[in-house]
Amino acid sequence: MEAFLGNLSLGFGTALTLNNIFFCFIGCMVGTLVGVLPGVGPIATIAMLLPITFGLDPTGALIMLAGIYYGAQYGGSTTAILVNLPGEATSVVTVLDGHQMAKQGRAGVALGIAAIGSFFAGTVATLLIAALGQPLTKLAQLFGPAEYFSLMIMGLVFAVVLARGSILKAICMILAGLLLSTVGTDLETGQERLTLGLQDLSDGIDFAVLAMGIFGFAEIVRNLENPETRDVVQRAVGRLLPGKEDFKQSYKPILRGTFLGAILGILPGNGAVLGPFAAYTLEKKLAKDPSRFGRGAIEGVAGPEAANNAGAQTAFIPLLTLGIPPNAVMALMVGAMTIHGIIPGPQVMTKNPDLFWGMIASMWIGNLMLLVINLPLIGLWIRLLKVPYRMMFPAIMIFCCIGIYSVNNSTSDVLFTAFFGLVGYTLLKFGFEPAPMLLGFVLGKLMEEKLRQALILSRGSFATFVERPVSGVLLAIAVIMLVIALLPSVRKGRDEVFVE
Amino acid sequence: MSHQTSPNDRKPSSFGIRCGQDFAAGLFLIAIGLFAFWQAQTLGRGTLNAMGAGMLPQSLAVMVAIGGIGLVITSLLVDGPRLERWSLRGAFFIFGGIVLFALTIRTLGLVVAGPLAMVFGSIGSEEFRWKESVIFAVILTAICILLFKVMLRLPIPVIGSVLEPILPF
Amino acid sequence: MKRLLVALAASVAFAGVAAAQTYPTKPVTMIVPFAAGGPTDIVARLVSENMSKTLGQQIVVENVAGAGGTTGITRASQAKPDGYTIMMGHMGTHGAAPALYANLKYDPVKDFEPIGMAAGTPILIVTKKDFPAKDLKEFTAYLKANADKVNQAHAGVGAVSHMTCILLNSQIGVKPTAVPYGGTGPALNDLVSGQVDYMCDQIVNLVSQVNAGSIKALAIASVERSPALPNVPTTKEAGLPEYQVAAWNAVFAPKGTPKDVVAKLTAALNSALDDAGTRKRLEDLGGVLPTKDERGGEWLGKFVASEVARWNPVLKAGK
Repeated sequence: MEAFLGNLSLGFGTALTLNNIFFCFIGCMVGTLVGVLPGVGPIATIAMLLPITFGLDPTGALIMLAGIYYGAQYGGSTTAILVNLPGEATSVVTVLDGHQMAKQGRAGVALGIAAIGSFFAGTVATLLIAALGQPLTKLAQLFGPAEYFSLMIMGLVFAVVLARGSILKAICMILAGLLLSTVGTDLETGQERLTLGLQDLSDGIDFAVLAMGIFGFAEIVRNLENPETRDVVQRAVGRLLPGKEDFKQSYKPILRGTFLGAILGILPGNGAVLGPFAAYTLEKKLAKDPSRFGRGAIEGVAGPEAANNAGAQTAFIPLLTLGIPPNAVMALMVGAMTIHGIIPGPQVMTKNPDLFWGMIASMWIGNLMLLVINLPLIGLWIRLLKVPYRMMFPAIMIFCCIGIYSVNNSTSDVLFTAFFGLVGYTLLKFGFEPAPMLLGFVLGKLMEEKLRQALILSRGSFATFVERPVSGVLLAIAVIMLVIALLPSVRKGRDEVFVE
Repeated sequence: MSHQTSPNDRKPSSFGIRCGQDFAAGLFLIAIGLFAFWQAQTLGRGTLNAMGAGMLPQSLAVMVAIGGIGLVITSLLVDGPRLERWSLRGAFFIFGGIVLFALTIRTLGLVVAGPLAMVFGSIGSEEFRWKESVIFAVILTAICILLFKVMLRLPIPVIGSVLEPILPF
Repeated sequence: MKRLLVALAASVAFAGVAAAQTYPTKPVTMIVPFAAGGPTDIVARLVSENMSKTLGQQIVVENVAGAGGTTGITRASQAKPDGYTIMMGHMGTHGAAPALYANLKYDPVKDFEPIGMAAGTPILIVTKKDFPAKDLKEFTAYLKANADKVNQAHAGVGAVSHMTCILLNSQIGVKPTAVPYGGTGPALNDLVSGQVDYMCDQIVNLVSQVNAGSIKALAIASVERSPALPNVPTTKEAGLPEYQVAAWNAVFAPKGTPKDVVAKLTAALNSALDDAGTRKRLEDLGGVLPTKDERGGEWLGKFVASEVARWNPVLKAGK
């Protein structure tokens, strides 16, 4: 305990110098900005800002870059709620109920609860990193390919539960998402799969390209054809911040979301992606009236947002304690550290304690800053909603185009986005929901990779998934959840087919 | 994309189709499944124990198609919504605008691609007004240059490769 | 209005002067064919920062990742050869690619003006920490005896870890089970937790794990020991002298770039390699800088030809 407090005070001592507070602030501001701008993710931004940090001392530089990363998580939910655009896999869930809330004139409440939930989750996750970072890495080590595969299966079951309408259609969308995820070069043989001979598809479809297309652009076209639905967003503004009743409804989801997100974030295979989905599923299952979900339930924003931010913070654990980056942004952080002469890994903590603890302390300071930055901004965002739609949609269009272009500096990505927009529009017309498809897509790549690795390691024996205890437990949970999800629908003939 | 919108807009009973939306959705999925299977058929399937590159794409394609067949069957049995009308104007101008952006960003740069894409896309709205749209597009492009190029330093071509040699700076 | 005209005239006049000046008069784009933050990207950013100072113009790094780096190099090779687009080529893109990609749209030997070698990172052979071999000799013996039991990890077809391990396996004469991962991170993770037995990769990716004792380093495939890991023997010392391989990174320009521009870039690169600060940063990463003989375009051109010839049979046989 004493060592813990000593570490924390060393950390705050480092993080609270004027310089580092300044860098943290810059990072949070830039992060919020790129998070809000659709398409422009933290990856492109951190990559471009790397050279600027050459002149800084490593601690300040890393504090700033980390700020961009978690700042983008806060900003990302803003776009998801206001304009139905998930910038990253983790904000897909926020779109579901967040944008519905906005349509009901509760955008301020949704944004507020997202910011507050994120802050709480960030605080808890930061403490968790500081106190238990080291032992928690052991947990991550329990996960081999077989365990990951079972975890992903569990994730797919979430997707079924997520579905609002027909279960058959949801399953079809998951399968289509999985199919899309197989596009690209095969990892094992190097063969090109389903690329139609296009070199630009050899690395598969980019998540942002797919999400912008089937959520963002499809939504614009749909809004243009029925002006009634979109005008609702403009007319109703409602209250700016969540009220007492809202807090009462959301504090438990925030607690649960924080816990789920924090645990999943530690897993080194980008488990953080699952956090919001898991939190949403949990809330929907616990709710007295699950039918509210998908129509603007505040728990559907609070839980996943908390999970998202908790996972974003704990994803630093494998990076800081093992030196193994769990996702693309963290891989970039490894690069940033390396450029500054710090090789991330188990020894950072002992060799550069001020950097290690300073960064952790700065995360909490950054979260506080983000809360302070974001709450007043809500008023501004809501005013933005009043911009007439005929001006709003070209703006969204151009931001998306620039954002998508900047991901890989590729024009074909922009063309693919238009294509998936068309596909998304078609899917909407056919009454499909895009969310299960995106989850299938996100999990698909990892799932195939892990499935094949596990089978290679077991020399082709499927028993490996049941024999390994952690994997077996995860599969059992998945089966139980699937049964629970399907049973009532079988009984009630759950064909609550409705058109939005 | 399949475009068989019209047959389902008639009286639902005429073909025994009780849910036009699901019927079309099912056909769409079957088409996707068949297309993907055809594309993946040259890949080695391997065995369950030693999967080849084609195993998953092929089996997923089959499953998507089976899902599609399921939808077609339910559409014949259960009543549901018909297929909605398609807004061709919106789709054409929005997606056309994005394509224009992609085609011009490298050669003509953001200064041309930005306004071009935005104005073209704006025509997709029934409330389109020429003057307002052009002015707004130019202002927004300037903001974008400031935001993406100056502040975030993203390597976006502002003045494209064609315009650059002509301009005196 | 008058003032505007004057300003315009002034800018035109200025532009005339600028055009008369020699290269470079505007920022230079360096295409890096891999994602930001990776080993090649780091080398590119460190080197280009110093080159910018010498050239008096910013070198902007543009990451165009995809297809083992060939997407970015393809685009760079088709750029206007005016010296404003250069690229950081790599062992994969300019050595192994012809063997791996049947429809490669460029020829590493013919389609470029070589500018010079930047830095290489030697390859390290590592095993999980409880692997039953304490040195390279025991390792090769164990591999030969238990080839069907051993699992080797790599970061996907075309990755450095994939190619260099094929080379190692072919030199030892074994074909163990290869487990593909979607990147160095996940592969390393499973090596640390003992799911797989060994892998080969660039030293920079592995140093901290080796120092922490979570994986075991058997040998480094370079002529001299690395200052980053002074206790790890070279392959020559450990008994496999023919295994000499480094993931090299070198600067190229598209074919047809004017000779004086290439010379200017070569000079800027060389002065970056002479700069004490840049040197130290690269060496801290475990990077090996080219010697005086290995600098410049002429040497690089020959080296690329020899690399293509070297990888072709190994990779085709390993497929």
